[in-house]
Amino acid sequence: MRHLLTELRQGLARNVSMHIAVVLTLFVSLTLAGVGVLAQREADKTVEYLGNELQITVWLCKADDDRPGCLGLVTDQQQRQVERTLEESPDVRSAQFVPQEEAYRLAQGLFDAELFEGGEEAPLQVADFRASYRVTPQDPQEIEGITSAVQGLEGVSYLSDQREELAPVYQIIDYLKFGSLGFAAALLLAALLLVANTVRLAALARRKEIGIMRLVGASGLYISLPFLAEALFMALLGVALSGGALAALVQFGIIDGVSTQLRFLPWVGWSDYLVTLAVIGITGPVLTVLPTLLLTRKYSKV
Amino acid sequence: MIRFEKVTKAYPGPGKPALDSVTVEVEKGEFVFLVGASGSGKSTALRLILRETRPTDGRVYVAGKEINRLAGWKVPRLRRQIGTVFQDFRLLNTKSVGENVAFAMQVTGHSRKEIRRTVPETLELVGLQGKASRMPDELSGGEQQRVAIARAVVNQPMILIADEPTGNLDPATSNDIMTLLERINAETDMTVVMATHDESIVDRYRKRVIELEQGRLVRDESGGGYGGLPTTTPQGV
Repeated sequence: MRHLLTELRQGLARNVSMHIAVVLTLFVSLTLAGVGVLAQREADKTVEYLGNELQITVWLCKADDDRPGCLGLVTDQQQRQVERTLEESPDVRSAQFVPQEEAYRLAQGLFDAELFEGGEEAPLQVADFRASYRVTPQDPQEIEGITSAVQGLEGVSYLSDQREELAPVYQIIDYLKFGSLGFAAALLLAALLLVANTVRLAALARRKEIGIMRLVGASGLYISLPFLAEALFMALLGVALSGGALAALVQFGIIDGVSTQLRFLPWVGWSDYLVTLAVIGITGPVLTVLPTLLLTRKYSKV
Repeated sequence: MIRFEKVTKAYPGPGKPALDSVTVEVEKGEFVFLVGASGSGKSTALRLILRETRPTDGRVYVAGKEINRLAGWKVPRLRRQIGTVFQDFRLLNTKSVGENVAFAMQVTGHSRKEIRRTVPETLELVGLQGKASRMPDELSGGEQQRVAIARAVVNQPMILIADEPTGNLDPATSNDIMTLLERINAETDMTVVMATHDESIVDRYRKRVIELEQGRLVRDESGGGYGGLPTTTPQGV
């Protein structure tokens, strides 16, 4: 043990700049990988929340609707006509009516509470929301039949397709996810090669010592243990730095940041951070220990 | 203690094998000179004993075990039974004399207590008492070789391999080293195999001489001199 600590200290001191390079590369690449993991979990959360199934929403006119097809609040007769059309359409699997009150209630969960305060004086009233039919098509690829049947009916304000609404959100998450994972992959490769180089240099610097160790009958493990300790030490340092950076990202970027501004989406939190930490906590040591193990096997081969 | 059975070692590429069907046996406690010109196969023979390389054909036995069949992880245990000394000493210049000798015990897992007891004893055996804290580059060549010998014997191996141990030393110092090796051989019954070019030493000490020429065993003579056969080139290159 004493031997190991002495060797570790000497080994780290021997090639400080190289070790710093390895730790920094690990730091950046693990952080990016962590961002990728968080983005992945964010995407999962969003999909779960918004519903994976593609829906078309048929919005019915509200009282002061300024859409061209509307002449005031939709009448019961108009609504029944829309409902009948949907029921009769072979392309519709199911249609669910969402009344104005329900739309109002859903909005309360999404927007600032003060918008709903003050009774009659509140900025948002039930009448400000449209009643709607949430239509699930038989085949998400074939929605033209539904749109052409419903569009133009009296009392229909407009149709919206969830794909269009959510496309930008999904796109941003996708960019974040694939972008960070892509950069992370490149940098993790760089870290791997840097570790390999560091081990090679360290082995070269200790060539004479290793030669003597082999001659007097040191085991392969004894020879490679200081290298492994070095690798593990660098990995833990890299993981600690990137764990800190990711914690800062979650706290300041998400909890105090975007989640206060974009409240209609669920955001990743500390439980997702712990999962991410576990992922990088395993990736980091594997990245450094694996090449070290392979290379020292070569150099300490007896 | 050491037995070669029709051992052939060919390196890749054209040319004659480094060792060509050599059969020879060295008993426990023997002192053997291994002589021959450069390229005659002396180093290959020593490397085979240490299992730094494996024979192309034939068998090598050390302490009753066929070592070319030895699993890789068992090789360190074999090497602990063999001490080695080289022409160029191979000391660690960043460590003191005592630390150099202790190093061989540390890497083989001896306790600090054992090391503290054994290292001074061994330094005394080789005539370096009181020099444990000196650095190798403060010592003369002969003293450095004594440190190397101390390191080689500190784990009390059964065999001592010495590859040209006097190659870098003047005749008087060579004589001292030779006397030391002979004393270790006599006092501890350690088998000593010494590869050498040093004609005067071989002639003076009259031990068993094994001579190789172009990979073949050409002479195995007890109490022989260096140039036993007229075909050999005594000085080597």
